[in-house]
Amino acid sequence: MAEVGADIGRVRIRLPSTIAKGEVIRVRALVTHPMEVLSFDKERKPIPKNYQFVYKIVATYNGREILQAETTQAVSQNPFIAFPLKVTEPGKLVISFTDTNGKTYEGSAEIKF
Amino acid sequence: MKLELDVPKLTRRDLLRALGIIGSTGVAVSLGLGSFMTVAAQQTQPGMPQPDEKVDATIKRLFGNRSISPADGKVKLEAPHIAENGSVVPVTVEADLPMTPQKHVKSIYIISDKNRRPLNAKFSLTPEVGKAAISTNIRLAETTDLRAIVEMNDGALYMVKQEVKVTVGGCGG
Repeated sequence: MAEVGADIGRVRIRLPSTIAKGEVIRVRALVTHPMEVLSFDKERKPIPKNYQFVYKIVATYNGREILQAETTQAVSQNPFIAFPLKVTEPGKLVISFTDTNGKTYEGSAEIKF
Repeated sequence: MKLELDVPKLTRRDLLRALGIIGSTGVAVSLGLGSFMTVAAQQTQPGMPQPDEKVDATIKRLFGNRSISPADGKVKLEAPHIAENGSVVPVTVEADLPMTPQKHVKSIYIISDKNRRPLNAKFSLTPEVGKAAISTNIRLAETTDLRAIVEMNDGALYMVKQEVKVTVGGCGG
Protein backbone atom coordinates (compact mmCIF):
# COMPACT_ATOMS: atom_id res chain seq x y z
CA MET A 1 0.00 0.00 0.00
CA ALA A 2 1.30 3.45 -0.87
CA GLU A 3 2.54 5.81 1.78
CA VAL A 4 0.01 8.33 3.03
CA GLY A 5 1.75 9.83 6.04
CA ALA A 6 1.59 13.48 6.93
CA ASP A 7 -0.05 14.46 3.67
CA ILE A 8 -3.40 13.12 4.87
CA GLY A 9 -6.27 15.43 4.15
CA ARG A 10 -4.68 17.30 1.27
CA VAL A 11 -7.43 18.13 -1.22
CA ARG A 12 -6.63 18.76 -4.86
CA ILE A 13 -9.19 20.11 -7.31
CA ARG A 14 -8.60 20.31 -11.04
CA LEU A 15 -10.66 22.36 -13.48
CA PRO A 16 -10.19 22.76 -17.21
CA SER A 17 -7.69 25.53 -18.04
CA THR A 18 -10.23 27.57 -19.99
CA ILE A 19 -13.84 27.87 -18.93
CA ALA A 20 -16.61 29.49 -20.94
CA LYS A 21 -19.79 30.75 -19.33
CA GLY A 22 -22.69 28.32 -19.64
CA GLU A 23 -20.42 25.38 -20.40
CA VAL A 24 -20.63 22.04 -18.58
CA ILE A 25 -17.12 21.45 -17.24
CA ARG A 26 -15.63 18.40 -15.60
CA VAL A 27 -14.42 18.85 -12.03
CA ARG A 28 -11.89 16.39 -10.67
CA ALA A 29 -11.15 16.19 -6.98
CA LEU A 30 -8.89 14.03 -4.88
CA VAL A 31 -8.09 13.85 -1.19
CA THR A 32 -5.08 12.12 0.29
CA HIS A 33 -6.60 9.64 2.71
CA PRO A 34 -5.82 6.03 3.74
CA MET A 35 -9.47 4.84 3.55
CA GLU A 36 -8.68 2.21 6.17
CA VAL A 37 -9.85 -1.31 5.26
CA LEU A 38 -11.44 -3.75 7.72
CA SER A 39 -9.22 -5.96 9.83
CA PHE A 40 -10.45 -9.44 10.65
CA ASP A 41 -9.87 -11.67 13.66
CA LYS A 42 -8.91 -15.38 13.53
CA GLU A 43 -12.52 -16.37 12.85
CA ARG A 44 -12.66 -13.97 9.89
CA LYS A 45 -14.99 -11.67 11.81
CA PRO A 46 -14.43 -7.94 11.38
CA ILE A 47 -12.75 -6.45 14.43
CA PRO A 48 -15.19 -3.94 15.91
CA LYS A 49 -13.63 -0.49 16.06
CA ASN A 50 -14.06 2.85 14.39
CA TYR A 51 -12.32 2.54 11.03
CA GLN A 52 -11.03 5.75 9.53
CA PHE A 53 -12.41 6.43 6.06
CA VAL A 54 -14.11 9.27 4.21
CA TYR A 55 -17.86 8.76 4.28
CA LYS A 56 -19.20 12.03 3.03
CA ILE A 57 -18.22 14.38 0.24
CA VAL A 58 -20.04 17.67 -0.34
CA ALA A 59 -19.50 20.09 -3.21
CA THR A 60 -20.82 23.63 -3.10
CA TYR A 61 -20.78 26.32 -5.79
CA ASN A 62 -21.07 29.84 -4.44
CA GLY A 63 -22.54 28.42 -1.26
CA ARG A 64 -25.18 26.28 -2.96
CA GLU A 65 -24.85 22.54 -2.51
CA ILE A 66 -24.58 20.94 -5.94
CA LEU A 67 -23.44 17.40 -5.22
CA GLN A 68 -23.10 15.02 -2.32
CA ALA A 69 -21.52 11.61 -2.17
CA GLU A 70 -21.75 8.93 0.47
CA THR A 71 -18.67 6.80 0.29
CA THR A 72 -17.71 3.57 2.04
CA GLN A 73 -14.60 1.53 2.65
CA ALA A 74 -15.20 0.09 -0.84
CA VAL A 75 -13.83 3.32 -2.30
CA SER A 76 -10.11 3.31 -3.04
CA GLN A 77 -7.38 4.90 -0.98
CA ASN A 78 -6.95 8.59 -1.84
CA PRO A 79 -10.58 8.86 -2.97
CA PHE A 80 -11.07 10.49 -6.32
CA ILE A 81 -14.29 11.82 -7.76
CA ALA A 82 -15.11 13.56 -10.99
CA PHE A 83 -18.39 15.25 -11.79
CA PRO A 84 -19.79 17.80 -14.23
CA LEU A 85 -20.71 21.35 -13.35
CA LYS A 86 -22.66 23.83 -15.40
CA VAL A 87 -20.85 27.12 -14.87
CA THR A 88 -23.38 29.92 -14.90
CA GLU A 89 -21.44 32.49 -12.90
CA PRO A 90 -17.94 33.16 -11.63
CA GLY A 91 -17.36 32.06 -8.09
CA LYS A 92 -16.00 29.60 -5.64
CA LEU A 93 -16.26 25.85 -5.77
CA VAL A 94 -15.69 24.18 -2.41
CA ILE A 95 -15.37 20.44 -1.93
CA SER A 96 -15.23 18.94 1.53
CA PHE A 97 -14.43 15.41 2.60
CA THR A 98 -15.54 14.19 6.04
CA ASP A 99 -14.06 11.09 7.60
CA THR A 100 -15.24 8.80 10.37
CA ASN A 101 -12.81 10.40 12.84
CA GLY A 102 -14.94 13.53 12.51
CA LYS A 103 -12.34 15.45 10.53
CA THR A 104 -13.34 17.51 7.51
CA TYR A 105 -10.84 18.32 4.79
CA GLU A 106 -11.71 21.12 2.44
CA GLY A 107 -10.42 22.34 -0.88
CA SER A 108 -11.57 25.15 -3.12
CA ALA A 109 -11.15 26.43 -6.64
CA GLU A 110 -11.98 29.72 -8.24
CA ILE A 111 -14.18 29.68 -11.36
CA LYS A 112 -13.34 32.54 -13.71
CA PHE A 113 -14.19 33.23 -17.33
CA MET B 1 -27.98 5.68 4.23
CA LYS B 2 -28.20 9.01 6.00
CA LEU B 3 -25.76 9.39 8.80
CA GLU B 4 -26.99 12.61 10.25
CA LEU B 5 -27.99 12.59 13.88
CA ASP B 6 -31.16 14.17 15.03
CA VAL B 7 -30.36 15.35 18.51
CA PRO B 8 -33.25 17.02 20.28
CA LYS B 9 -32.45 20.40 21.82
CA LEU B 10 -31.69 20.18 25.50
CA THR B 11 -32.65 23.09 27.64
CA ARG B 12 -30.77 23.87 30.81
CA ARG B 13 -33.84 22.85 32.80
CA ASP B 14 -34.04 19.44 31.08
CA LEU B 15 -30.41 18.85 31.79
CA LEU B 16 -30.68 19.73 35.46
CA ARG B 17 -33.75 17.54 35.79
CA ALA B 18 -31.96 14.62 34.14
CA LEU B 19 -28.96 15.07 36.40
CA GLY B 20 -31.30 15.14 39.36
CA ILE B 21 -32.84 11.82 38.34
CA ILE B 22 -29.45 10.18 37.97
CA GLY B 23 -28.33 11.57 41.30
CA SER B 24 -31.41 10.42 43.20
CA THR B 25 -31.54 6.92 41.72
CA GLY B 26 -28.05 6.10 42.80
CA VAL B 27 -24.79 4.85 41.46
CA ALA B 28 -26.02 1.53 40.07
CA VAL B 29 -28.37 3.17 37.63
CA SER B 30 -25.88 5.75 36.49
CA LEU B 31 -23.35 2.99 35.88
CA GLY B 32 -25.96 1.16 33.83
CA LEU B 33 -26.73 4.32 31.91
CA GLY B 34 -23.03 4.83 31.32
CA SER B 35 -22.55 1.48 29.64
CA PHE B 36 -25.73 2.00 27.65
CA MET B 37 -24.37 5.28 26.38
CA THR B 38 -21.09 3.64 25.36
CA VAL B 39 -23.01 1.08 23.29
CA ALA B 40 -25.15 3.82 21.75
CA ALA B 41 -22.07 5.86 20.90
CA GLN B 42 -20.51 2.87 19.18
CA GLN B 43 -23.60 2.19 17.09
CA THR B 44 -23.78 5.75 15.84
CA GLN B 45 -20.08 5.85 14.92
CA PRO B 46 -20.12 5.81 11.13
CA GLY B 47 -16.81 3.96 11.01
CA MET B 48 -17.99 0.84 12.87
CA PRO B 49 -18.07 -2.31 10.74
CA GLN B 50 -21.54 -3.24 9.58
CA PRO B 51 -22.82 -6.76 9.04
CA ASP B 52 -22.22 -8.65 5.79
CA GLU B 53 -24.94 -8.15 3.24
CA LYS B 54 -25.99 -10.00 0.10
CA VAL B 55 -26.59 -7.82 -2.94
CA ASP B 56 -30.33 -8.62 -2.98
CA ALA B 57 -30.58 -7.36 0.59
CA THR B 58 -28.69 -4.19 -0.31
CA ILE B 59 -31.04 -3.47 -3.21
CA LYS B 60 -34.04 -4.17 -1.01
CA ARG B 61 -32.65 -1.88 1.70
CA LEU B 62 -32.08 0.93 -0.77
CA PHE B 63 -35.09 0.62 -3.04
CA GLY B 64 -37.64 -1.59 -1.27
CA ASN B 65 -39.81 -3.42 -3.78
CA ARG B 66 -39.66 -0.70 -6.43
CA SER B 67 -39.16 -2.03 -9.93
CA ILE B 68 -35.84 -1.33 -11.62
CA SER B 69 -35.86 -1.08 -15.42
CA PRO B 70 -32.95 -1.94 -17.67
CA ALA B 71 -31.22 1.24 -18.77
CA ASP B 72 -31.52 0.48 -22.52
CA GLY B 73 -28.60 2.66 -23.47
CA LYS B 74 -29.74 5.58 -21.30
CA VAL B 75 -27.04 4.84 -18.74
CA LYS B 76 -23.47 3.92 -19.57
CA LEU B 77 -21.21 2.15 -17.11
CA GLU B 78 -17.52 2.28 -17.90
CA ALA B 79 -15.22 -0.03 -15.99
CA PRO B 80 -12.37 -2.30 -17.02
CA HIS B 81 -13.32 -5.85 -18.05
CA ILE B 82 -10.24 -7.11 -16.28
CA ALA B 83 -8.97 -5.30 -13.20
CA GLU B 84 -5.51 -6.45 -12.23
CA ASN B 85 -5.61 -4.55 -8.97
CA GLY B 86 -8.92 -4.74 -7.16
CA SER B 87 -8.01 -1.94 -4.82
CA VAL B 88 -8.19 0.74 -7.52
CA VAL B 89 -10.85 0.13 -10.15
CA PRO B 90 -11.84 3.25 -12.09
CA VAL B 91 -15.58 3.50 -12.71
CA THR B 92 -17.56 6.06 -14.68
CA VAL B 93 -21.33 6.25 -14.85
CA GLU B 94 -22.86 8.49 -17.45
CA ALA B 95 -26.58 8.95 -17.94
CA ASP B 96 -28.17 10.37 -21.04
CA LEU B 97 -31.14 11.64 -19.08
CA PRO B 98 -32.54 15.13 -18.54
CA MET B 99 -31.07 17.39 -15.86
CA THR B 100 -33.77 20.03 -15.48
CA PRO B 101 -35.35 21.10 -12.19
CA GLN B 102 -38.56 19.29 -13.28
CA LYS B 103 -36.92 16.03 -14.29
CA HIS B 104 -33.44 15.06 -13.30
CA VAL B 105 -31.18 12.33 -12.04
CA LYS B 106 -31.32 12.43 -8.26
CA SER B 107 -28.88 9.70 -7.30
CA ILE B 108 -26.36 7.33 -8.79
CA TYR B 109 -25.49 4.16 -6.88
CA ILE B 110 -22.44 2.02 -7.55
CA ILE B 111 -22.90 -1.53 -6.33
CA SER B 112 -20.58 -4.52 -6.58
CA ASP B 113 -22.37 -7.82 -6.03
CA LYS B 114 -19.56 -9.81 -4.41
CA ASN B 115 -18.25 -7.24 -1.97
CA ARG B 116 -18.93 -7.88 1.71
CA ARG B 117 -21.03 -4.71 1.71
CA PRO B 118 -22.13 -4.28 -1.91
CA LEU B 119 -22.85 -0.54 -1.89
CA ASN B 120 -19.63 1.18 -2.92
CA ALA B 121 -20.86 4.72 -3.15
CA LYS B 122 -23.93 6.85 -3.63
CA PHE B 123 -23.87 10.19 -5.42
CA SER B 124 -26.68 12.71 -4.97
CA LEU B 125 -26.90 15.22 -7.76
CA THR B 126 -28.75 18.47 -8.33
CA PRO B 127 -29.82 19.94 -11.70
CA GLU B 128 -27.01 22.50 -11.29
CA VAL B 129 -24.39 20.00 -12.37
CA GLY B 130 -25.92 20.14 -15.85
CA LYS B 131 -25.24 16.52 -16.72
CA ALA B 132 -25.36 13.20 -14.88
CA ALA B 133 -21.88 11.75 -15.12
CA ILE B 134 -19.67 10.76 -12.22
CA SER B 135 -16.38 8.93 -11.87
CA THR B 136 -14.59 7.43 -8.93
CA ASN B 137 -12.17 4.66 -7.98
CA ILE B 138 -13.57 1.67 -6.12
CA ARG B 139 -12.32 -1.46 -4.39
CA LEU B 140 -13.49 -4.88 -5.54
CA ALA B 141 -12.93 -7.98 -3.41
CA GLU B 142 -13.17 -10.50 -6.26
CA THR B 143 -14.53 -11.01 -9.77
CA THR B 144 -18.02 -9.61 -9.66
CA ASP B 145 -20.92 -8.07 -11.45
CA LEU B 146 -20.79 -4.33 -11.09
CA ARG B 147 -24.05 -2.39 -11.19
CA ALA B 148 -24.88 1.23 -11.61
CA ILE B 149 -28.38 2.22 -10.58
CA VAL B 150 -29.70 5.63 -11.51
CA GLU B 151 -32.61 7.11 -9.59
CA MET B 152 -34.70 9.90 -11.11
CA ASN B 153 -36.40 12.57 -9.02
CA ASP B 154 -39.77 11.02 -9.99
CA GLY B 155 -38.65 7.69 -8.52
CA ALA B 156 -37.85 5.83 -11.76
CA LEU B 157 -34.88 3.48 -11.47
CA TYR B 158 -32.56 2.33 -14.24
CA MET B 159 -29.86 -0.28 -13.94
CA VAL B 160 -26.86 -1.28 -15.98
CA LYS B 161 -24.57 -4.20 -15.18
CA GLN B 162 -21.12 -5.32 -16.22
CA GLU B 163 -18.79 -8.07 -15.10
CA VAL B 164 -15.34 -7.10 -13.88
CA LYS B 165 -12.72 -9.85 -13.56
CA VAL B 166 -10.48 -9.13 -10.61
CA THR B 167 -6.97 -10.62 -10.50
CA VAL B 168 -5.98 -9.46 -7.00
CA GLY B 169 -8.76 -8.50 -4.58
CA GLY B 170 -8.65 -5.12 -2.99
CA CYS B 171 -10.63 -5.26 0.22
CA GLY B 172 -8.27 -7.06 2.57
CA GLY B 173 -10.77 -9.93 2.68
